[in-house]
Amino acid sequence: MIFSNLECMTFNMALILCAVSTTGYLLSLLVKRVRLARISTWILAAAFGFLTINFLFVMMNSSWLVNLDSRDFLSFCAWAVCAVYLALQFKTKTRVLGAFISPLILLFMIAAAGEEAGRDLRPQNLQSWLTALHLFLTIFGEALFAIASCAGLMFIMQNRLLKNKKLGGMIRLLPSLNDLDRINHLCLLWGFPILSVGIIAGVIFAEIRWETGWLADPKIIWTFAGWMIYGFLLHQRLAIGWKGYRMALFSGIAFVLLLLSYGGVKICFSTLHSFFQP
Amino acid sequence: MIVLTGLNHKTAPIAVREKIFAGCQEKSDLLPALRSISGVEEVLYLSTCNRVEVIASVAEDGKAIKEISDFLARNGCLTEAESKGCFYEYRGEKAVRHLFRVASSLDSMVMGEAQILGQVKDAYRDALAKYTTGIVLNRLMHCSFRAAKRVRSETGIAVNPVSVSHAAVELAKKIFGSLDGKKILLIGAGEMAELTGQQLIEKGAKSVIIANRSLAQAELLAAKFHGEAADLDALDKKLIEADIVISSTGASDFIVTADMLRKIYHQRKNRLLFLIDIAVPRDIDPSASDLENVYLYNIDNLQDIVDENMNVRKKEAIKAEKIVDEEVARYVNWQKELESVPTIVSLRNMAGEIVQAEMEKASGWMQNLNKDDQEKIDVLVNSIVNKVLHAPVSVLKEESSDISSRDIVDAVRRLFRLD
Repeated sequence: MIFSNLECMTFNMALILCAVSTTGYLLSLLVKRVRLARISTWILAAAFGFLTINFLFVMMNSSWLVNLDSRDFLSFCAWAVCAVYLALQFKTKTRVLGAFISPLILLFMIAAAGEEAGRDLRPQNLQSWLTALHLFLTIFGEALFAIASCAGLMFIMQNRLLKNKKLGGMIRLLPSLNDLDRINHLCLLWGFPILSVGIIAGVIFAEIRWETGWLADPKIIWTFAGWMIYGFLLHQRLAIGWKGYRMALFSGIAFVLLLLSYGGVKICFSTLHSFFQP
Repeated sequence: MIVLTGLNHKTAPIAVREKIFAGCQEKSDLLPALRSISGVEEVLYLSTCNRVEVIASVAEDGKAIKEISDFLARNGCLTEAESKGCFYEYRGEKAVRHLFRVASSLDSMVMGEAQILGQVKDAYRDALAKYTTGIVLNRLMHCSFRAAKRVRSETGIAVNPVSVSHAAVELAKKIFGSLDGKKILLIGAGEMAELTGQQLIEKGAKSVIIANRSLAQAELLAAKFHGEAADLDALDKKLIEADIVISSTGASDFIVTADMLRKIYHQRKNRLLFLIDIAVPRDIDPSASDLENVYLYNIDNLQDIVDENMNVRKKEAIKAEKIVDEEVARYVNWQKELESVPTIVSLRNMAGEIVQAEMEKASGWMQNLNKDDQEKIDVLVNSIVNKVLHAPVSVLKEESSDISSRDIVDAVRRLFRLD
C-alpha cells in the first residue's frame, strides 16, 4: 500500500517536473535564451530521477515486472527517451535539442497518466521474459531513432537558415550542423543494434509460440521495412560516407515510417500485435 | 564630490589624443602629480587608444577640475587652439554616469566591445598601486565594474559580432561547432583573408593552406601561419582537404566553380564545406551554394550580418542605459549615506531598538517590581546608552564639515553594522 502510494507520488512529481521543463524549453525558444534551456535540462534530469524511482517502486509492487501494464509501458517510453537525451547532453552541449524532445517525453507521460494502472499489457499466454526483452529493447531503439530524427529535423532547419542567410535569433539558438549530425550518427549507431536484438527477441518468441502465420502480420512487415531503412542508412553513412543534409532528411522519413507501423497499422489493419480486447 | 574630465574620439582628433597619450605615458609620477593638485583627494587616470580621462574625488567644486584638464593639456604640450573644446567636464552624478557608461562600453567607438572593462580595471589597479584612491573611488570603481558586468550579462549588447572577420568566425562555429582540427584554405594572400584566417586559428583551426598565383607570396604567408603553400593549379586537390575556404583574389573570373566542387564531392566524403568569398569581383561561383553540405557567403552577405548586428546592439543599448541608471542611483544613494547626519540617526535608532527589545525580554520579572522601580530602571538604561553613544555622535558631528569625516562615517557604519 505504501509502495503504491509512493509509486503514485513519484509518478506525479515526474509528470509535473516534465511539464515545467517542457514549458521552460519552449519558452527558451520563444525568448531566445540558452540559459533557460540549461535550467530546463536540470529540471528534466530531476523528472528523470523521479521516474527512475517510480520504476523501482513499480518493480517492488509487481515482483519484478511479471505484471506490465500499459501505464508502465508508456512511462518507460518517456524514461527511455529521457535517458538517451540526458546521456547525449554529456557528450554534446546541445541544450536546445530538449525543446524538440521534451514535448515528446511529456506526451508519453500524459498518455501514461491517462492509462489505467494494473492491467497487464500482454495477455496471459504472452507473458515471458522474451516479450519483456522485446518490449524494452524495441522501445529503446525507437527512442534513439526518435532523437536521431529530432536532430535531423533541427539540422534541416539550421541548414535552411544558413543557406538562405537568415541569421536572426533562431540560428543562434540551434546547435551547430556538425553537432546535430554527430547526434544523428550516434543515435543510429546505437539504435540499430538495439532495435535488431529487440526484433530478434520478438521473432524467437513468435517462432516458439505461434510457429506460423506471424510473418505476414502488417505491423511486423512495416517494422521490418523501417528496420531495413535504418540498416540501409547506417550502411550509407559508414560505407558510402553520407553526411549532413541527406542523412537528416532520410532519418526523418524512416522515423515517420516507423511511427506509421506503430500507429497507422494498428488502426487500418488487423494485426497480431493488438492484444487488448476492450 | 566626484569629477571627471578628459577627451575621447568624439571630442578630439587623433593628433590631439596621441599627444596627450604620449605626454602622460612618459610621466612616471603622473598619479602622484595629479593627486598633488590642490583640492584633489583621490584620483584615477584612464587611458585607452580612444580616450584619456581623469576621475577624481575633490574637496569642493572649485578650480580642481579645471586644473586637472590644464595639467593634461600641459603634459601633452597642446597649444591653446588644440585644447579648446576637446575637454569635457562632468561633476557629481553626471561624472558617475559617464564612468559607468565608459566601463559598460556604451561610450566606445564600437559599442559593446569587450576590451574597455579590462582597461578600466588596469587603470584602477595602477591607482591602487600608487595609493591614490580611497573610500570614495574604491566604491565608485567597484560599482562601475558591477554596472559593466550587468550590462554584459543582462543585455545582448556584446552577443553578435560587428566585424566582417568575426562574423565569418561565428558562422564557422554555427556550421562546425568546434573549430578544433579544421583545415583552412586561403585563396589569394589578401589582408582581409589573412585576418580572418588568423582569427579562425585562434579559435582552434588546425592548419592553413595558402594557394596563390604567385607561389613566392604564398610561401611568405605560409611561413607566418606555419602552413603550407600551394600553386593555384593544384587548387582542386587542396579543396579536398579543406573545411573552410576563404577566397580573396583579384581574378576577374570564378576561381572555384560549382563543377569543381561537384567533382570532388565524393573524395571529400560529403564533409561540410564553408566557403567565404570576400573578393570583388567574386571568386566563387554563386551556384556552389546549391550543393549539398556547402555553405557559401560573400562579402555582401557578411556585411549584411554586421549591419543587422549593429542594429541589434543599438536596441540593446537602450536596455543597457537603464541598467546604468539603476547603478548610478545605487551609488549616489550610498554616497548620501556617507554624510554624518543620517548615520547619527541610524545609530540612535539602532540603540533605541536594542533597548526596547531587551526591556521587553525583561518585562516578565520586572512585573514584580513596583512602578517606581520600573521607571528608575528605564531611566538608568537610557542614560547608559546615551553615555556610550555620546562620544561617537559628537565626533561625527564635529567632523561633519571636514572631508575626512567620510572615513569615520564609513568606520562607524561598519562597526555598528548600520548598512
